[in-house]
Order: sequence, then C-alpha cells, then structure tokens
Amino acid sequence: MAVHEPEARQSYLVFACGSSWYAVPAESAAEVVTFPELTRVPGAPPHLLGVFAHRGEVIPVVDLGLLVAGVSQSSRRAVLVRLPRGTLALTASTVAGVSPVTGTLEPLGPTGVHVHLRGPAKSGPRDVAVIDPEGLFDHLSQGA
Amino acid sequence: MGPLSVRGMLLCHAGPHRIAFHAHEVASIASPEGVSAASARRAFQAPDGASRVLVSSSGGAVGVDTLEIEAEPHPVLPAPPLAVRVSGGSLQGFVVVQGKLWPLVGLVDFERFLRGLVGEEAA
Repeated sequence: MAVHEPEARQSYLVFACGSSWYAVPAESAAEVVTFPELTRVPGAPPHLLGVFAHRGEVIPVVDLGLLVAGVSQSSRRAVLVRLPRGTLALTASTVAGVSPVTGTLEPLGPTGVHVHLRGPAKSGPRDVAVIDPEGLFDHLSQGA
Repeated sequence: MGPLSVRGMLLCHAGPHRIAFHAHEVASIASPEGVSAASARRAFQAPDGASRVLVSSSGGAVGVDTLEIEAEPHPVLPAPPLAVRVSGGSLQGFVVVQGKLWPLVGLVDFERFLRGLVGEEAA
C-alpha cells in the first residue's frame, strides 16, 4: 500500500473544532470568519448548520465536530475552504495558524467522512487530521 | 449574464425558520382546516403545524406559520449545490429581504419534497 506523505513545501491551516485538530491545505483556506446569524436550509441535516451571505456568495456552514464525531461544537468562527466548485465554512473553535504538517496521509477510516480525513499526522506537538477538501465536498454533496 | 431577480414573493415562517415562495406559484391561500397540506416545519425537523396553507395551481398544499407579501424585486443569490441537494432540488436560491437571508423554494417541488420526507419517516 502506498504511503503518502505531506509535501514538504505544502503549508496547512491548522485549527481545532472542540478537542480535535484539523489541517486543511493553505491554498484552499480562503480566510477565517466570524459568521452572523445563520439561515437554516430546508431539509438540511443537523451538521449543516445553515448558510450566510459573504461578499455576495451564499456559504454553507458545516459543524465539523458534529459531522466527524457526532458532537456539536458551538462556535461562530469558521474556516472558509474555497475550491473552484464552491466555498464551504467549517466551524473552528481555535485557529492555530499556518504551519507544515508531518506524517502520512492515509484515510483515517474506511467509510464516511473519515475517508476524507488523512493521517496520522502532526503539526508541531498536535495530532491533526488532514482534510482532503475535494473529498469532503464530494462527501457532503453525495448525501452525507 | 446578470443576476436573476424575483418580483412578488410570499415571505413565510415555518416555526422560527424563514422560507420564501414565488407569489405566482400560489393559486390560493387557505385555512389549514380540512386541507391536506404538508407542513413546511418538516423541512426543519419540527413537528407538523400551520396557520395558513399555500395551494398551488396543481392542488399541492404547503402549510406555514406566518406569511407576508413582498412586492419589491430582489436579486436571487445562487444556492450552493450542497444546499440544493438537501432540499430535494426545491431550493432555487436565496434573497435578502429586511436584512435577512431567505431561502426561495418552488412551491410544487417543495411540497413534493415534504411529502417525500413523510415517506422516508414511514419507511
């Protein structure tokens, strides 16, 4: 089985949602925002908290704690992950900043959202799950 | 191509949640008594209930808690594909009215979506 290691030159935005730490490639992390009151989307699952308008774009907010661990994390801050297909806001209780990540990038689980979280990896002393933004978009778009 | 706009909407609430409909899709507004309507609250995982029912020309009916008419034109912000998917394709975009964001749905598609939610619960 091939073991993928993070590219040495690649930087990641490292943030926490509750007690878990995540890293998203810095080129996909557009900004960190404090979002306003959200508008619920009809039919949305609990982890899709709602949407807000930001610079003329309607952005969905995903409670990463609820999506990954089933534990809701109340936070009004979010990391905006921007891809050509759209923007997603991932809730963040703490943002550590941009730093390198070491380790491997194997899926952290065989099914569900964990397929799109990679590791085991570290950012400094922290264990982090590296988010595959494209995979996460696919997962959310396919009925997660 | 410029942004789409909408003129003539019914701004409604389902419980505390906002939802907007094209006025031209609403053939009549009825009292919930004696009308088989799908409650819009279902879309927000809340118990059924309604004080008004929006009836489409095809006879489909959606129950809401409040409604007011908005006659002014408003641009429609595109909905993220993720949001369209979870609404069963009924979400057509968002409008900003009274400083707040409102999901704009097609009445017939939304009614069909709500009926499907009942089917899912029963399955």
